[in-house]
Amino acid sequence: MKKLIAIIVLLPVINFFGQTGSIKGKIISAQNEPLPGASIFLSGTQTGTASLQNGSFEIKDLPFGRYTIEASLIGYAKKKISYTLIQDSSPLTIVLTEEAIQSQQIVVSAGKYEQKIQDLSVSTSVLRPESISRKNYLTFEDALRLVPGVQTNLEQVSIRGSNGYSKGAGARVLVAVNGIPIYSGDTGDIVWELIPVTDIERVEIIKGPASSLYGSTAIGGVINIITRTSVKNPVTHFRSYFGAYNNPAYDIWKWNSNLRTFYGTELTHSNSSGNLSYTLSFKKFDNMSYRQNDYSKRNLGYLKLNYEFSGDTYLSFFADFLNMNRGNFLYWKDSRNALVPKDEDNGNIVKSNRLLAGLIYHHKFSDMITAELKSSFYHTKFDGYGKELTTSTADLIRNEILSNVKLSDSFLLTLGVESSYSKISSNIFKSPDFFGLGSYLQGEWKVSPEFALTFGLRYDYMKLDTLKSANAAAPKAGINYKISKELIARASFGTGFRAPTPSEVFTTAGVGGGIDVKSNPDLKAETSLSFEAGLLYNYSDNLFFDAAFYQTDYKDFIEPVLTKEAKIQFVNLSRARIQGFEFTSTWNILPGELKFTGGYNYMWARDLDKNTAMKYRPLNSVTAQLDYSPDPFDFGIDFRYMSKAEQIDFNLTEPPINLVVDGSKRVPVYVTNLSAGYNFFIGSLPVKIYLNVSNLFNYNYVEFIGNVAPIRNYSVSFELFF
Amino acid sequence: MKIFLSVLIFFILIIAAGGCDKGIEPEPESNAVPGQTGFSGKVTFAGTWPANVKRTHLVVFKNAIATSQDFFPPNLAFVIDSIPYRSSSFTYNSVDNNFIPMFVLTPGDYKYIVVAQSSTPALSLERKDWNIVGVYCINGDQSQPRTLTIENGKTTTGVDINVNFSAPPPQPFIDVTGLIEQFAVPQQQKLF
Repeated sequence: MKKLIAIIVLLPVINFFGQTGSIKGKIISAQNEPLPGASIFLSGTQTGTASLQNGSFEIKDLPFGRYTIEASLIGYAKKKISYTLIQDSSPLTIVLTEEAIQSQQIVVSAGKYEQKIQDLSVSTSVLRPESISRKNYLTFEDALRLVPGVQTNLEQVSIRGSNGYSKGAGARVLVAVNGIPIYSGDTGDIVWELIPVTDIERVEIIKGPASSLYGSTAIGGVINIITRTSVKNPVTHFRSYFGAYNNPAYDIWKWNSNLRTFYGTELTHSNSSGNLSYTLSFKKFDNMSYRQNDYSKRNLGYLKLNYEFSGDTYLSFFADFLNMNRGNFLYWKDSRNALVPKDEDNGNIVKSNRLLAGLIYHHKFSDMITAELKSSFYHTKFDGYGKELTTSTADLIRNEILSNVKLSDSFLLTLGVESSYSKISSNIFKSPDFFGLGSYLQGEWKVSPEFALTFGLRYDYMKLDTLKSANAAAPKAGINYKISKELIARASFGTGFRAPTPSEVFTTAGVGGGIDVKSNPDLKAETSLSFEAGLLYNYSDNLFFDAAFYQTDYKDFIEPVLTKEAKIQFVNLSRARIQGFEFTSTWNILPGELKFTGGYNYMWARDLDKNTAMKYRPLNSVTAQLDYSPDPFDFGIDFRYMSKAEQIDFNLTEPPINLVVDGSKRVPVYVTNLSAGYNFFIGSLPVKIYLNVSNLFNYNYVEFIGNVAPIRNYSVSFELFF
Repeated sequence: MKIFLSVLIFFILIIAAGGCDKGIEPEPESNAVPGQTGFSGKVTFAGTWPANVKRTHLVVFKNAIATSQDFFPPNLAFVIDSIPYRSSSFTYNSVDNNFIPMFVLTPGDYKYIVVAQSSTPALSLERKDWNIVGVYCINGDQSQPRTLTIENGKTTTGVDINVNFSAPPPQPFIDVTGLIEQFAVPQQQKLF
């Protein structure tokens, strides 16, 4: 026994003298995909290597001993691992997780060609899907709430104040999947549930008008969702979560004695065979909600096929189907019954089906010229069951051809032409059709390694049913100047426009109270003129600052009004100006372990005609995230603040209408979320378990009148890759 | 470690600021006695009804009409159902005869209650389309509007107006600009 103890005690000591070995291992993503090109270094030394195509690495001729290994890869959080090298050391498996919000060294393609984010002339943020699964956001737009400068009112997203709240009346931010817009053909808005979250590679958020490239709807910015590239090895991802809402903060708000729960399950499989790769995903989400008649049941199917004809040519197809059945909660009964809808709305439900299919054909003619054909078909159908049946079916077909031409090493030209056609059949929007044709041209000229100039112009022709056709031209220009290695300046100027949606022009439904909506065939496109100047400062490899001043002037803002004929009508009304300052920072306090991300936005949004604040726009907003990831754990705390909205729809909340009793009640928004995760292996299979608490302090606030945001809820999620 | 602790403390302070209160609170329980809040009365007509009248309503304004804006919410507070053409009298109450159900009469003082006629078939909220033919007034003097007081849970009775087409009351401000007032859509339900 003494001999055995002596051997055990002395063995490490013996091994530490003069013997050498190799640290071997593999770098993989959280999805169990090998990560090539990752840097693996021994902490405090210059000794290291890079991972190979299959993710494997080896650092040879190292004396036995204890090491700290640092693994890093652009787009992923750096990871530090302690490792003891002895005679029979096991190979290492290092799992790198994607960073949530990033602003450095990332390549984005929202400009219709790939650029490094530090080369852009407009403010851009990149969001990684990791933040969605780690924080267990129930819907995609919840993740956007933590991006500085991005605000969501209910499910309507606004970038730097571009939107207030106008449900069912079009969006001012264009959301696209791989550059294919996903606005619906009738109302022109976005259904977030349709987004294939499991297949997201990154989300690019352009903060400013992008009509010069994307045309109408991009007047407030673009959110471009890039899906994952094809995998070479089979990967199956299973994720499930379960959660429950806390009791309301006040006893009189408790309307039901049952535990209000939500759960979701999703199964995704990716594989390849020869040149064909595919991803297939099924999801089911059920949410009882904390409010009465606010339930939602969603079923989602997603298929993506990718066929590589050669290294230069591929064809990609995706189809996304969503079936949804939900209650229709919009306004509370009153503040004493804040989680109960108005009596007349109780029982109203909406059933909808949506199918989005996209086809992308990419061909590289030479190192100088590439071209892409993008086609999409978007079918939407909803039926609203209330006092009356509201129904609408819309089919939107869109085609685009774009080409990138590298005229020289310093000049890149992007040009394209696109068309869209939608046909609507509805009992509230009539049954109009829409045709649009647009062409664009954009050049990027790298005048010197430090200085780049971009300019672009887009022309659109639009014809909405029997209305007179309309035209719009949207120019833009921008500069990027690298003052030094650490300091980068940018400035841009651009115009934007948004054509009225069929729902804004043709809606004729009664909205209750004896008042009807009247169509407006004279409705014009709204336009904007914007300017931005910003500075990016890399204080060190681990500390970044970004500051931007922005201003946008809107003209012919489309707003719903009550005319003196006592009809609701969408009209071109306001001149508005939004000025602001945005500051963001990322600080890797302990690289690979502790990271702070913060942002502040000051936004002065005024209706110039009335000299009042614009509705639902906060003057100040703050976001802050602190993530601590000592392997194998992840801890995170998120905080966001928005000042109290100065202007809301007072006409709805005060006499004589008083449609929303106590609807003027609103407060500053303080929301704190907590998350804790544990990453481990079952055999060789990566597994993640996360616990989340959303709205930790059970703070009651509204984003829209008479509509309490989610109260505190707890959830646990489980993910398995095999 | 000092940096870490500093950041952590800063973060906790920010968050604590937000955790100090509960945000929106329910309104205290109302002390109103059970009953219907509103008013009732009778409109009596004398003389010959004008031709081309398409609408006759009793209309409640918060204050007297001094500008074109005042013929519009929020000064326009309540509208009683259209009175049939050539009626000799019309008995009403604000609960059963609310022409715009969306309008809710809240407790308070209303200083200008009139009977107005319009020649437009559709309801117009433009001052120029209306003619005031009777005023709820003091001692029958139509130049002295009488204040209607609405109390919570109570129905104010006796809000009577005598319309004499031969002796019309003074006409308040008339505008011809036809301005459009901004007003939000009262969306009763989400579309999808």
